[in-house]
Amino acid sequence: MPRAVPFDVPPVLGLLPDAVVAKHLSRGMQSGQENPPQAALRKASTPLPDDEIRWRTAPIRELLDVAMTRFDDNPTAADGWLAPRLHATLRMTRAEAGDGRLWNHLAMLVAPDYVAWRHKRAEIAQSSRFSGPHYTQCFSRLWWVAELFRDGPDYRPVEVACSVQDILNTTLRLDVIDHRPTAQALLAVFKSLISSGVPRPGDHVNAVSSAVNAAGSTLVYDVLAPDNPPLVEDLQDWIADVAEAPAVHWDRLPEGPNDGRVPRTAIDVLVSFFEKLLVEAPVRRRGRVSTPEDVGDSPQQSAVPAPREGVSLAKDLPSWMT
Amino acid sequence: MKPVFPYPTLLGDVGCEVVSVSIDGKPLPYTNVSATERVVALHQSGRAGWEEATLNVRATLPESELSDGPWQDVICLATLTEKATNARTTARLRPASDGSRTGSIILSRALHLRRATLSLLVIATVNSVAGRLVGSAEQDWYVDLQEATPVRQREIDIVEIDFRDGPHDGLRPYKESSWIIETSGDMPIVYLNTTAVEGLMEVLGSRGGNPTEKVLREMAASQVAQDAWTAMFHTAISDLDTDEDGTPVMPTGWRESVLRQMLPDVLPGRQLTDALYEINERRTKGFGWSELQTGIQYAAGRRAQISKKLATAVRTIDRTERNTD
Repeated sequence: MPRAVPFDVPPVLGLLPDAVVAKHLSRGMQSGQENPPQAALRKASTPLPDDEIRWRTAPIRELLDVAMTRFDDNPTAADGWLAPRLHATLRMTRAEAGDGRLWNHLAMLVAPDYVAWRHKRAEIAQSSRFSGPHYTQCFSRLWWVAELFRDGPDYRPVEVACSVQDILNTTLRLDVIDHRPTAQALLAVFKSLISSGVPRPGDHVNAVSSAVNAAGSTLVYDVLAPDNPPLVEDLQDWIADVAEAPAVHWDRLPEGPNDGRVPRTAIDVLVSFFEKLLVEAPVRRRGRVSTPEDVGDSPQQSAVPAPREGVSLAKDLPSWMT
Repeated sequence: MKPVFPYPTLLGDVGCEVVSVSIDGKPLPYTNVSATERVVALHQSGRAGWEEATLNVRATLPESELSDGPWQDVICLATLTEKATNARTTARLRPASDGSRTGSIILSRALHLRRATLSLLVIATVNSVAGRLVGSAEQDWYVDLQEATPVRQREIDIVEIDFRDGPHDGLRPYKESSWIIETSGDMPIVYLNTTAVEGLMEVLGSRGGNPTEKVLREMAASQVAQDAWTAMFHTAISDLDTDEDGTPVMPTGWRESVLRQMLPDVLPGRQLTDALYEINERRTKGFGWSELQTGIQYAAGRRAQISKKLATAVRTIDRTERNTD
């Protein structure tokens, strides 16, 4: 049963600048105990056109509520369920998704409770989960993992990508996966790795990712495994279809845009190459005891050391400076 | 930093040039392509709803070196990328009759947001390994989607605004300040307060005037500049990404250019990557952070030409006084 949202959700998505997030994101919000300062945030944001169905928040909010109910005992597992469904609900081009202000708005005004629920470690969720790079921000990482790992309309590879958190935390950051056959070939390697049942698949994921990335600096994958250009018009049609499309199914995978599948031969070429790298790649042993889910979620050290107490500048300043 | 390749690479120069651009099939005026700045401004096409741009690219390769060297199956590849949208499009260039290589690459608007980078790669089979990168154009081209005129180096935005009663709520707490710098966005913004100091805008905005006015203008401007440089530097180093082994990665955009300009003064005598590493260490571990402030202050002051302007100011006042005596 979807739970009641304890605050007033704006009906339409908007754009919220980073500076505003920095100003209003409180520890209380990060810990999920406070509601966002709605009035101030709404005033600072630019709403998207409300005649476009795709910017409505209600379908997204519904998905998030379902996710929080279904995966209440294991929020990490919600990623694989939510990523394709969010991508198929919030339909847009990469140009639109590249605007971080959209993700700020979603995290601050529409679903701060989800950010805290999913990413709260110890006390709070990191601020980069509210506003941050595409591979870190709570919702943009899910949208982008679906965008970069889907095979045309097929979201199944996305579920594989979300099954090990290291793929989201490490592989998603790499530029080499902007080449679709490389992304698909990596997933194929990961998939057989996971199904082989090796302990700590995340360590192998990191090792292969970093080997593939390193090899990519001297080998041009685009030439070894040519991709077809994206069918942008089909993508635009799919985006426009959202007006008629029914809400995404909760138990079956939705269908993505039919903008061209990744050529099978291209993937195969790279898979055999990456498998060689997998054998050779050094696997880093993790020193600390951790579950793969924790990686990347650990709080970073505070950026600037806190000022020492007991020293006042004011009294020591020469007269001409005051 | 130049990577080292474990196989022979090209020594000769690889040139890359955008010959012409068309938007939705119609030619873009050549004033929107700057060959010296290596920038294409698509925004000013006067066509708001455009969908794709075709860039016609010509590359010149060191052909005699290529034909004599150990490279087979040479391919010349143009790539169009943008970090913000994870976009990557490629196109092969084919040999033309004049010995250069030409081809066109399509920039789809749905895939790009602010500025796309056009690079040129030369790929060949070396020692029977296919797909080796053997050369690339020294400088990339940029394709701007949000810029009106082609400019390579983006400058700082300067906004004159009333802090107290203006439209920008966030500025109200600073109503007594003459200016503040905001560095959280894609471009740093200097907000000048039109109401804190009466007449300051006139002084800053005017040209000419008497020597005292000039001195005041210069001093105020360089103080704004010093503040801006300091703020930009702190922002640029405060959110460094690291790669898998923990080495900090050079940020992109204005943050990169600020760091490239200031790091040699902040930590003199060090390689850029080493300096970046050192700064990140100090920032995260807290060790030597306060010592660094002196270096940052020095570097910012140098960029803002504080000493030079002070010297001029002192001389001007000296001269004015002597004239009145």
